Amino acid sequence: MPLFVKARTLLRNLFLSHRVDSDFDREVLSHLELLVEENIRAGMMPNEANRAARIELGGIEQVKERVREARVGNWLHSVISDCRFVLRQLRKNPAFFAVAILTLALGIGASTVVFSVVYNVFFDTFPYKDFDRSVVFEIRNVANVGGWKSRAFFSAEEFRAFREQNHVFEDMIAHEDVSRLFYNDGKFTRLLPSGAMVTTNTFAYLGVPPLLGRTFSEEDGRPGSPPVFVMNYRLWQREFGSDRKILGKSFILRGRPTTLIGIMPPRFNAFNASLWMPESLDRGGGSLMGRLMPGISVRAAGAELDAIAHRLQKSNPGGIFPEKFTIVPETLHDSSIGGLKKTLYALLAAVFLLLLIACSNVANLLLSRAIVREREMATRAALGATRSRLIGQLLVESFALATAAAAAGCLLAYFGLQAVVALIPRGALPGETIIRMNAPVFLLTLGVAFLTTILCGLAPALHVFRGDVQPRLTASTKHAGGHFRHGKLRGRLVVGEVALSMVLLIVAGLLMRSFLVLTRVDLGFDPKNVLYFRLALPDAYDFDFADPASIAKARLWKNSLTRRLLDRMKEFPGIVSAAECIQEPPLRYDWSDLIIPGRPHIERWETRHESVSEDYFQTLGLPLRRGRFFSQDDMTRARYVAVVNEAFSRQYFPNQDPIGHRVKLQVLDRTFLDAPHDAYFEIVGITGDYKTRDYENSRWHKFPEVFIPYSVQGFSWRTFMARTSIDPRLVLKSMGEEVRAIEPGIAVGTSGTLEESLHEFYRGPQFELVSLTAFASIGLVLVVIGVFSVMAYTVSQQTHEIGIRMAMGAQQKHVLLSVLINGFRLVAAGILTGFAASLAFTRFLSSQISGVSPTDPWTFTAVATLIALVGLAGCYIPARRATRVNPMIALRYE
Amino acid sequence: MNRESTTLLQGTLDMRVLKSLVASELHGLGISRRIQQITGGTFLVKPGSLFPALHRMEEEGWVSSFWGDSENNRRAKYDRLSKCGRKRLEAETKRWGRICWAIAQALETS
Repeated sequence: MPLFVKARTLLRNLFLSHRVDSDFDREVLSHLELLVEENIRAGMMPNEANRAARIELGGIEQVKERVREARVGNWLHSVISDCRFVLRQLRKNPAFFAVAILTLALGIGASTVVFSVVYNVFFDTFPYKDFDRSVVFEIRNVANVGGWKSRAFFSAEEFRAFREQNHVFEDMIAHEDVSRLFYNDGKFTRLLPSGAMVTTNTFAYLGVPPLLGRTFSEEDGRPGSPPVFVMNYRLWQREFGSDRKILGKSFILRGRPTTLIGIMPPRFNAFNASLWMPESLDRGGGSLMGRLMPGISVRAAGAELDAIAHRLQKSNPGGIFPEKFTIVPETLHDSSIGGLKKTLYALLAAVFLLLLIACSNVANLLLSRAIVREREMATRAALGATRSRLIGQLLVESFALATAAAAAGCLLAYFGLQAVVALIPRGALPGETIIRMNAPVFLLTLGVAFLTTILCGLAPALHVFRGDVQPRLTASTKHAGGHFRHGKLRGRLVVGEVALSMVLLIVAGLLMRSFLVLTRVDLGFDPKNVLYFRLALPDAYDFDFADPASIAKARLWKNSLTRRLLDRMKEFPGIVSAAECIQEPPLRYDWSDLIIPGRPHIERWETRHESVSEDYFQTLGLPLRRGRFFSQDDMTRARYVAVVNEAFSRQYFPNQDPIGHRVKLQVLDRTFLDAPHDAYFEIVGITGDYKTRDYENSRWHKFPEVFIPYSVQGFSWRTFMARTSIDPRLVLKSMGEEVRAIEPGIAVGTSGTLEESLHEFYRGPQFELVSLTAFASIGLVLVVIGVFSVMAYTVSQQTHEIGIRMAMGAQQKHVLLSVLINGFRLVAAGILTGFAASLAFTRFLSSQISGVSPTDPWTFTAVATLIALVGLAGCYIPARRATRVNPMIALRYE
Repeated sequence: MNRESTTLLQGTLDMRVLKSLVASELHGLGISRRIQQITGGTFLVKPGSLFPALHRMEEEGWVSSFWGDSENNRRAKYDRLSKCGRKRLEAETKRWGRICWAIAQALETS
């Protein structure tokens, strides 16, 4: 029964609240009348009776409010009425809400995007088991001689020694790229994307179960056991249409029937391989990876491997260890995202500044409003609203604001994240990192936004109850005498905002200048209309390092192949000239120690080197400075001649003519290279410099370089280039056919145009530039909003004062000027603070920018001017409003 | 009556209102006067406390209200004790009796 009564009451209170209220009004009224009547009967005069009755009743409104408070469902009722009130306010004041919501949404959206990227990249990089303990390493040559500087390739013998003798790793794996993956589907032989030969413990080590079938057992690696392989999801999807029936079938891979035993899930792409083949732990080698035992440091692991390698060097002096070396370990994480780390930290700092700006803006808006509403709050309190009721109302208001902002921020975050994923440079992230919206991060950002809104939204209620209600009621809000503290706080927020935005803009400006310098650089060669492709040669072209006869035979085959292909390419319509080299520009890795007979030296002499065909220089558009380029005869006879660049000539023949001198490239003497040993090359020509770079360092360099004829050696890694008169991509499409026409077993591997690959280099800096510029622009918008809201509020508070001044004869332009100066004082303080902060901050940027000083005066001046203009614009509208104050109305306003 | 003792006996307001309604239905002022009369003028229930209490008890289902005519033919809101309210009053009375007894015992023995 009571439950039923309660439910009925609740419904009545909620839906018939008008009737309930008017009923109660009558009840109170009748009570008053009864009291008056009683007093009259007691012998009072009517008006005295009335007064006594009212005194006994107490405040009628307060009584009503207390009854309302006691009603069932009161809180729900008040929430509903508060919501209605908020809607009314919103209709009355749409600009305020729009600005507040936009500000918060921008902050929430941008921070969610960046925090999500950072979270996924830093904490969820790989799907592997305990990937944060995985370590990769390389041997670094610390002696001043010996050609190569480092290698990350380890022989089977080394791997065995490391794996069996170490006490720091739980387990170790080895993997080796298989780039020439020829697949015969019964009709054609095709080249599949490169795969990997992995030790049989690899899948257990990585700890990712297969999507279908099984992964390798130890059995699969044993010599003589049937060949098997595991495929990655993408290859399965693209080449075989996700057909489950292909599991267990036999494929002709590299001429051998091989059984497919498993397919991996989408998020598994270890070693960027399209498929994996097993190798026993005894014979596996290549790149190594080890999982540290818990509590062991990377450095300790490096020291242990170092000791093992040095033992190995002693017992086997004929091996390929340099004289002095050290093993350099690096976590898998650092090695795969090391390059992006700095950018992400920069973005994180930027977005943190942005969130600060957004929150301080909203705080500013709400605090301004709080002062205007103080009188409203005081009136409510006088009419009997309790503290909790007032706070409740403001909570609902702030909550509504924050919720709307959160919804808008969510949308912004969603689309922003898609834009960022599209912008992140390819190859900068491991293929297995998935960038997606991160729920905890989003909630955290929402939390910050809600907290700001609610804390600042509650300010008026807290203020009312801190002091006496009475003076606030009688004093006009227009005399903001007692609110000096608030005014100062708002001023500081604006100064801080301007300063933060200045830092952001300066960083973006510096990146922009640096990007322009980077992309406008004169490379020294003409990358337009040049295509390149690599050849994937079948196993028949392999040779045995220990067998000189096989080396000679392979070289002969390769050179004949190159000759025929170049001749065929030159006749192809659209191709102007064609050439062969090891690595297409602008990338360069290979260094060699240099020996010039009769020129002893103490310091290390090094040069880049490249093996090219005769039309290399013409194809790249490189100028001939002196002497001659290679002739076809140099190639066919494999003459020991060389062309050097100007940088080489400057460095090693300072005041001399290098032509006619002979040089020796030490790197060719290395035992494992199929190159002539002890060969001296005669310099026949000098070409212009062109700029090169490597993957690690984003700067352009001009290095000394020696070019020799390709035909003297037989590296298997070969790149063909062609300059075309038409769109190089059209020509590139027919190259596969041309290559097959020469020899059916050969396929085209990696291919592209030089312009495209240059664009790839610019994507990294471009990503930084675009994202920081976006943040800086958002920051600028927020600054306008901040300055505008504060000045608009100040002007509306000074209406009375301005009115008096104008009545006393102040000119419009004086009023305008005084408001502008007031506002600009804040902006100027912000600019000065931002200037100091930027000077301190941009030093950390010097590694990210090139060609521009981190304290570039142009950028600083331009940004300061921009902010000053924007700040003035923010002040201008309120200032104009101030000049339109009509003195009569302003004075009568009170 | 001073402020201190009123606070002490705040919890008994419900009981007193219910008790005043046992004999007959009354309007608000009547309840207030009846309590004053029963307690010999010790308790003076002001409208500021009476109305919230009455409305709360109505919502609890202890009393029910209706509009009636006063002795002087004025429209007034009357409250009547319900079955539920009667039970409640019994329980409250028992509880209060126990408290009184316990306090008296405590005061005597010490």
